[in-house]
Amino acid sequence: MTPLPEPGRRALIIGYGSPIRGDDAIGPLAADRLADEGVPEGVTVLSRHVLTAELVEDIAAADLIVFIDAVAEGPPGEIRIRPLQPDASALSTMAHFLDPRELLAWAETLYCHRPRAWLASVAGATFDYGLYELSPAVADALRPLITQVRGLACP
Amino acid sequence: MTSRTITIEPVTRIEGHARITLQLDDAGKVGQARFHLTQFRGFEKFCEGRPYREMPALTARTCGICPVSHLLASNKACDYLLRVSIPPTAEKLRRVMNLAQLTQSHALSFFHLSSPDLLLGWDSNPVKRNIFGVMAEAPQLARDGIRLRQIGQTIIETLGGKKIHPTWVVPGGVNEALTEDKRQAMLALLPEGLEIAKRTYAFFKTLVPKFADEARHFGTLPTLFLSLVSPRGNLEHYDGFLRIKDAQGRIVEDMIPPHEYQRVIGEAVEDFSYMKFPYYKPRGYPQGIYRVGPLARLNNAEACGTPYADVALAEFRMLQEAAPVQSSFHYHYARLVEIIFALESMERLLKDPDILNPRVRSRARSNRYEGIGVAEAPRGTLMHHYKIDDDGLITWVNLIIATGHNNLAMNQGIKQVADAYVEGNNLQEGMLNRVEAVIRCFDPCLSCASHAFGQMPLHIELRDAAGRLVDTLRRG
Repeated sequence: MTPLPEPGRRALIIGYGSPIRGDDAIGPLAADRLADEGVPEGVTVLSRHVLTAELVEDIAAADLIVFIDAVAEGPPGEIRIRPLQPDASALSTMAHFLDPRELLAWAETLYCHRPRAWLASVAGATFDYGLYELSPAVADALRPLITQVRGLACP
Repeated sequence: MTSRTITIEPVTRIEGHARITLQLDDAGKVGQARFHLTQFRGFEKFCEGRPYREMPALTARTCGICPVSHLLASNKACDYLLRVSIPPTAEKLRRVMNLAQLTQSHALSFFHLSSPDLLLGWDSNPVKRNIFGVMAEAPQLARDGIRLRQIGQTIIETLGGKKIHPTWVVPGGVNEALTEDKRQAMLALLPEGLEIAKRTYAFFKTLVPKFADEARHFGTLPTLFLSLVSPRGNLEHYDGFLRIKDAQGRIVEDMIPPHEYQRVIGEAVEDFSYMKFPYYKPRGYPQGIYRVGPLARLNNAEACGTPYADVALAEFRMLQEAAPVQSSFHYHYARLVEIIFALESMERLLKDPDILNPRVRSRARSNRYEGIGVAEAPRGTLMHHYKIDDDGLITWVNLIIATGHNNLAMNQGIKQVADAYVEGNNLQEGMLNRVEAVIRCFDPCLSCASHAFGQMPLHIELRDAAGRLVDTLRRG
């Protein structure tokens, strides 16, 4: 049974990454699994290849956001949760990889809205092209990752 | 003669990676200007041996910005292989998706990639000449850009199931009929989108007179114009026939069936770029230079066929006294007219009762060995051409990407703007930004999967033939 949401609280979970580049898929996989298993009312789950500009409107409508991503640094499978702040200097050089801190800065600048935000990351072992499977360490991290994200967004 | 070269690498706020080189003479004047696509990808080669039915999914992966365009052109090539006429409802639904793609793509180009130059100026502080500078100067414009892009992407997702790489369009039509709920959800978005588009268009019209100098020098070229037009000669993005107009506005080719494109288009290569150089065959290379995309489409069309877009088209034609609009700077203007057209057209298509018809797919096996599909991508005419064997396996592929058609014009455009603005002995950042900006007018999509924009670190050194440092420019 899913817990009841806090009254009036709107949470947004965005898992992002490429589904065909090995461990980079952990973000959308976790988001899809969360959506399949169910989240409380007031919690929205998005699964994306990349962070794109139009997500700013979704971010501006949320009180709490959890971004889920893979990172290259760290021992494979390591889960890290860290708070994110808006950062206008985090201008992405690649349009298909808008930095979450940049999107938060867009939301703050344009909509005067600064939601609490977290980045839940998993250190990947391999990001090869055309690889449709997670490495064993990252696959093992999927369930604890979901539990931690649920704890942040669906208390 | 002393040879000196300015290299601008990477070119910023475009889709993909590219380099510009300007060769200077003794007096510091630009002798040669070149636009280099530096990535080799080879899609045409590695599609060989794959079943033709995989081609829509495979070729859509060539681009994360306009996968819908590849999806449509590829499926049209597959329709041709099947030798089927797709159900009318399927064609209407494909049109809606194409117009939604055009809306979000044009919005990204105008609001996010080019508005920093248009609002803040080419010579403004490069540290602030980015999307945050736009937000500070015109927050409503920035919000409008986000919203318009979201509307386009939401319609694509509503139809296709996902925003990037949808698989809803299939050979023979689409794989799922539209429901009333989805139709109403999409229709509900369009009035707001049209208001934004009209508001932005009205605002941009007030800016245009300030850019008279740029309009004179930003790729103002007496080229041909190529695009699809409807059977009545009107603006067309999905089907129809090829039309070519010359710089004086004379129609030199008309109502050419897309599968006869090779009769009028040749392709050349140069050793300084991985992008091909298409040209109009009867005039030869490089005299057969032509442009595609929003500017060409509006120049070629008799009318748009929707109320507000037709008013805007009439105003677009007043940008020049007679003949087609020549300045590539006015691609920005044409993009806004097309957004209005796209939103009006989507509403018209979605209000058609037939849009809910459940018959949306024709089924057949391959009945030809050769298939050609042509559609208008946001950046211009996109051509997919396949050959298959008895087993339906691809034996040969030719893709002419929208941006490629503009290759000759982009090269001539940077030469023209460099001649007008670049002083080789006294480099200023704003001079080189104008050289980049003429490329942004075309909104090129180069490697498709990677997109460079914003203020990337840029370090330019100007050296003489002996390697002595003459001037430097650094940003980021």
